[in-house]
Amino acid sequence: MTTTKKYWKGLAQLHDDPIVEKLAQNEFVEELPVEKFLGDKENLSSTNSSRRDFLKFLGFSTAAATLAACETPIVKSIPYLVKPDEIIPGVANYYASTIYDGRDYASVLVKTREGRPIKIENNGTCSNSRVQASVLSLYDSARLKHPLKQNQEASWRTVDSEIVEKLSNIKEGKIALLTSTILSPTTTQLIKEFSDKYKNVEHLMIDSTPYDGILDANLDSYGVRLAPSYSFDKADVIVSFGADFLANWMANEYATDYVNGRNPKNGKMSKHYQLETNLSLSGANADKRIQIKPSEHGYLISSLYDALKGKKFDSRLSPIVKSLKSANGKSIIISNSNDKNVQLIVNAINNKLNNYNNTISINEPTHLKQGNTQKLNDLLVDMQAGDVKALITYNVNPSYSYANSSQFNEALKKVDLKISTSLHNDETASLMDYVCPDSHNLESWGDASPKHGTYSLMQPTISPLFKTRQFQESLLVWTDRSDYLTYLKNFWTNNGIDWNVSLHDGYFNISEPKLSLKNFIDKSSPINLVSSNEIELELYESIALGDGYQANNPWLQELPDPLTRACWDNYLTISSHTAEQLGLLNWNVSNGALNGSLVDITSDDVVLRNVPVMINPGQARSTVGMAIGYGRTKAGKAGDNVGFNAYPFTNKKTITIEKVEGEYEFASIQLHHTMMGRDIVKETTLADYIKDPSSGNHRETYATYKGKLTADKVSLYDEHDLEHGHFWNLSIDLTACIGCGECVISCQAENNIPVVGKAEVRNSRDMHWMRIDRYFSSDMTEELSAEQKISMIDMFSEMEEPSENPEVVFQPVMCMHCNHAPCENVCPVAATTHSNEGLNQMTYNRCVGTRYCANNCPYKVRRFNWFQYSDNDKFDFNMNDDYGKMVLNPDVVVRSRGVIEKCSMCIQKIQELKLDAKKSGKPIEDKDAQTACASSCSTNAIIFGDSNNKESLVSKLRTDERAYDLLDHLNVRPSVFYQTKIRNKA
Amino acid sequence: MHKESEIRDPLILGNKTYHDITRDIARPVEGKANKYWWILFGLSVFLFLWGVGCMAYTIGTGIGAWGLNKTVNWAWDITNFVWWIGIGHAGTLISAVLLLFRQKWRMAINRSAEAMTIFGVVQAGLFPLIHMGRPWLAYWVFPFPNEYGPLWQNFNSPLLWDVFAISTYLTVSTVFWYIGLIPDFAMIRDRMSKTISPMKKKLYTLLAFGWSGRAKHWQRFEEVSLVLAGLATPLVFSVHSIVSMDFATSIIPGWHTTIFPPYFVLGALFSGFAMVETLLIIMRKVVNLEAYITIKHIEYMNVIILFTGSLVGTAYITELFMAWYSGVAFEQYAFINRATGPYWWAYMAMMSCNVIIPQLYWIKKVRTSFIATFILSIFVNIGMWFERFVIIVTSLHRDFLPSSWTMFSPTFIDIGIFLGTIGFFFTLFLMYARTFPVVAQAELKTILKSSGSEYKNKSHE
Repeated sequence: MTTTKKYWKGLAQLHDDPIVEKLAQNEFVEELPVEKFLGDKENLSSTNSSRRDFLKFLGFSTAAATLAACETPIVKSIPYLVKPDEIIPGVANYYASTIYDGRDYASVLVKTREGRPIKIENNGTCSNSRVQASVLSLYDSARLKHPLKQNQEASWRTVDSEIVEKLSNIKEGKIALLTSTILSPTTTQLIKEFSDKYKNVEHLMIDSTPYDGILDANLDSYGVRLAPSYSFDKADVIVSFGADFLANWMANEYATDYVNGRNPKNGKMSKHYQLETNLSLSGANADKRIQIKPSEHGYLISSLYDALKGKKFDSRLSPIVKSLKSANGKSIIISNSNDKNVQLIVNAINNKLNNYNNTISINEPTHLKQGNTQKLNDLLVDMQAGDVKALITYNVNPSYSYANSSQFNEALKKVDLKISTSLHNDETASLMDYVCPDSHNLESWGDASPKHGTYSLMQPTISPLFKTRQFQESLLVWTDRSDYLTYLKNFWTNNGIDWNVSLHDGYFNISEPKLSLKNFIDKSSPINLVSSNEIELELYESIALGDGYQANNPWLQELPDPLTRACWDNYLTISSHTAEQLGLLNWNVSNGALNGSLVDITSDDVVLRNVPVMINPGQARSTVGMAIGYGRTKAGKAGDNVGFNAYPFTNKKTITIEKVEGEYEFASIQLHHTMMGRDIVKETTLADYIKDPSSGNHRETYATYKGKLTADKVSLYDEHDLEHGHFWNLSIDLTACIGCGECVISCQAENNIPVVGKAEVRNSRDMHWMRIDRYFSSDMTEELSAEQKISMIDMFSEMEEPSENPEVVFQPVMCMHCNHAPCENVCPVAATTHSNEGLNQMTYNRCVGTRYCANNCPYKVRRFNWFQYSDNDKFDFNMNDDYGKMVLNPDVVVRSRGVIEKCSMCIQKIQELKLDAKKSGKPIEDKDAQTACASSCSTNAIIFGDSNNKESLVSKLRTDERAYDLLDHLNVRPSVFYQTKIRNKA
Repeated sequence: MHKESEIRDPLILGNKTYHDITRDIARPVEGKANKYWWILFGLSVFLFLWGVGCMAYTIGTGIGAWGLNKTVNWAWDITNFVWWIGIGHAGTLISAVLLLFRQKWRMAINRSAEAMTIFGVVQAGLFPLIHMGRPWLAYWVFPFPNEYGPLWQNFNSPLLWDVFAISTYLTVSTVFWYIGLIPDFAMIRDRMSKTISPMKKKLYTLLAFGWSGRAKHWQRFEEVSLVLAGLATPLVFSVHSIVSMDFATSIIPGWHTTIFPPYFVLGALFSGFAMVETLLIIMRKVVNLEAYITIKHIEYMNVIILFTGSLVGTAYITELFMAWYSGVAFEQYAFINRATGPYWWAYMAMMSCNVIIPQLYWIKKVRTSFIATFILSIFVNIGMWFERFVIIVTSLHRDFLPSSWTMFSPTFIDIGIFLGTIGFFFTLFLMYARTFPVVAQAELKTILKSSGSEYKNKSHE
């Protein structure tokens, strides 16, 4: 039924008065006297503007003036005049490339946004935190921005012409080319061509941590100076004498294989013995760790060889000998000794155990370490004698990293022409006549062959930021040519490589025949035990900084050491027993921060004053460890004068320690080291796991009237609907996690996490969204206290002390995305809320910063912006630097002061994934769902996915017998869960 | 044969007449301040300004100026907040609950106790504001009509309950206080000379709200006082219960306790009475109120302190018992750590100041001594500050995952802000003492035993 009702506003309208129509046409009944008022100054007094008009004008002009006064900050963005085809603003492009800086090698995918590389992703190979962080080193404002001549800015034209002229004029004497290990076949070729042009060119390669022992031993054993490649996945027994192969030893590529060989699902795990002085990452992951002194190293290897030959041997080795007997051809023995004689025995043992061609491949060698320290020593003699007329350095910094750097610096003065190609005006470059700055990997073309038959290509992902030129191009220019790209392309096309496909993939394999080598010759001779009462020193490369090349990278400086949990420092690690003997202490000050005693250390003529000591469980008695890579003086503002340079002690075996007055302030992000008898990392042994896959994974129960129930059965809360749509889950396998910290850097890069500096870390205000907790075992347990009737107070105080040779566990902890989140219901302004996909979300612009959520978080994963961390001179790191800011991920907001932030489970990646799926109309594939931590994990310990997708890996892991929720008695229902830690021990 | 039943000791000493009372109460307002007042005032203002500087620095640079960290996200800020709120409680109890119970002795002290309440709540209210990371957005905690969705507050959050509890408390206390002041303001108004101090006269006229002393006014006054007392009484219990829920509803061992609401209320009364004593013992000297605030008042309050102190002690021990009895390892560790961990000294300070020292009040000599009471009241104030510190910091600094365990140490800014609020509090109180009738003289006059005593005194002569 239609309505015929008509509404009218007044009688006039009802009666169709013409005035209604007239008024409807004319909105402004009275004409606004704008002109009269504003137009004429003279007639202002006689204007007929009403009082109302005056107020209107007044109101308008006040409002206009106010609005004009509060100008919003203008951020200028320049649109593309001609938009490059491949760039769509807001969409990331990925390029396959290679990172190799003379130390760390990885085949990578580089994520670029609007032409800026912002993130490194793994391209199917293992990488490490330094590779992840290298994208920030690209934007290091301490990099050289132009060539230098006598430390003054110069043009490439001048520099090149002078260098070429000087090189050509050298008639007598050597031109020395001192480089790191070169992996690039084209660079090797170029160096050859360079040598052809200039006579008397000598090319030397050195590694900052030398591997001469292994290389020379293989020269004796097999007739080639090469290092073998290892297959840790094929080994049933791994015996490492001090070699930290999970972190920095030889190549950063063994972790994946190692973990693949230790998957309890297969019912089989390799048995890993580590005999070492310092507590290394590998030692922390070992099934059995034996503390040895460096002086026992050779003797024990010799004794192991004796044992295998059926002779008498050191009793400490008996479990190893027993394991090795049943692992013919399935074991790996390695040592970090740089002594050829020791390595000869290692070779002999591996040969005796039939490991060559099974787990160790010498005829498919690795190319990563080729340095020869002896040649450098010889060169120094020549330099001293004035026989070296020119020195060109590439990727090396001997003034810093050579054991006797003052000798090098002295000898350098005798060289007529000194050229560095360093990216920085570093310790060596600053002594040179010319610095021809190399470009960063991400600005360069290149190739690399890390291993026999394996090749990868490097492509630039951004134009050089500064007036730099890659080394290869310099070599071409100095040999009167140019265009390295064409050179590279021709080189590989001529070798039958499909350039486009290979460049797209980033790597290619050439099936080269295995090297044909001489038969193994056992040249080993036994080593006897030399007992020493002195304190022995063993240097190590820290997990964050390695050899110190990227010391100016604040991400790496702030990456806590996985074991000591300290950052922005190196120190003397010492056992509690030895520290007590020497009267050295570590203590916590009133805000909990760690302080340590200071010592002077002396070895022969090398003295280092006021070095702090860090008591580190696991350190062998009467030994100390110290990380190299610190104490840089010309690295840049983040890296300069951080820690102490330990390189001068490279060849020193023993030191004397003298306690001195004063104390040192450490920045350690974990101040408490044991689990205090709590069920935080659930652990079992392989044997128990095979019997019962859920062993060690018992759940806490509550006594109720219905009997004992687990927490989730006695919940008072309404459930979120997690059945529909996605349910994003993260599984963390504590057996697979080796604690390397690569995910921490990856997360930092992806999520624009600020660096806060040493002082703030010391105030326990680190900002990392994820951390890798490290716990040591303690001698005191609840069982022991019950047995010995120790009071609870004493028990807890003794539990705080880690064992002297503790078992170590690592546990990555980020926001657990609780589905009954304690943080969500305490926020007064509802700034943190739950998504219907199982995520706990943080709304930064709603947050007022009461920090109640952080207090109520049982995992303590929420981070507060105590200060403004970007654009603040007090936090002069990458976010206060126009170059450094280029690394920021445009998809993630940079948080302001006063708000809480935390892991978002990479919501920006999830969102992108969902949008892509929606556009393409296809369901999300499990493999595409990745968080930054999961995608960077070299050991696949972190698995992300949608648990509502029944095909997904994470949904299967969710119901695995090993799966457990951290602190499950709280019934917070995390979306992140863990898989029990399994050790292969009796 | 004349038999006279024993009468109670008078609450007002010194055979005061009605006019004496008027004169005594009006004297500080009408007269000039003495030297001590100026010294105290100067010191308070200095501390206050120092505190303002520290607050400005905090707001200018960030909460990082304080000693907080990722594990201990609240420390002195919320300790001070709860402490000040607690101090406020005695005022309301004295003026409302004791009014309902017809405790006449409260009349000499209720005005100042209420003033203390309001000034204390003002200090307390500062902390939730400045402890925010972005205090300029503090208005977001109030439910106001908005165009953000509209976006409302999270009514599950105890912090929001705090907002309502404290704003209600402050409003009701202020109104109650002001209503009580009206007849007294009128008294001052009437004594003010229009010619000598016209501005003051005007001001007090305004404040007296047209009070004429008619019977109708008195009737309304009594009624409103009773109604407000009825309204304020539940607040005495609700405010600190709600404050305690900031902790009780959380999951942190040491916070997550159902005993908290009564425990906090008792603690608040305990500390409130201690602060009333601290203030009144000074004030009775400074503004010559010896005749009105007598040892009798002090003794009554000491009995309350002894009672509430013992109950607080019981609560402490109950907590320990429950930790043991629960069998929850986390809970047990929280309390072992409190008593024997790195903050054992704070726990000891709390235990000795709050539980052991007030037991001295069993001794009559101690509870009837001004000096002893003054010293003990300071101990209680310190002890109750430590109670809140212990609850907040020792529970947070070692919670579930030992990897995050750390400690807290205050910075100069933390200390400066706390001292600043003490300065602010005393500034307000000293200004009040010079401008307000510090004793509810109108009420007090109702208990003056004038005619009978005078007659008796005369007959003795």
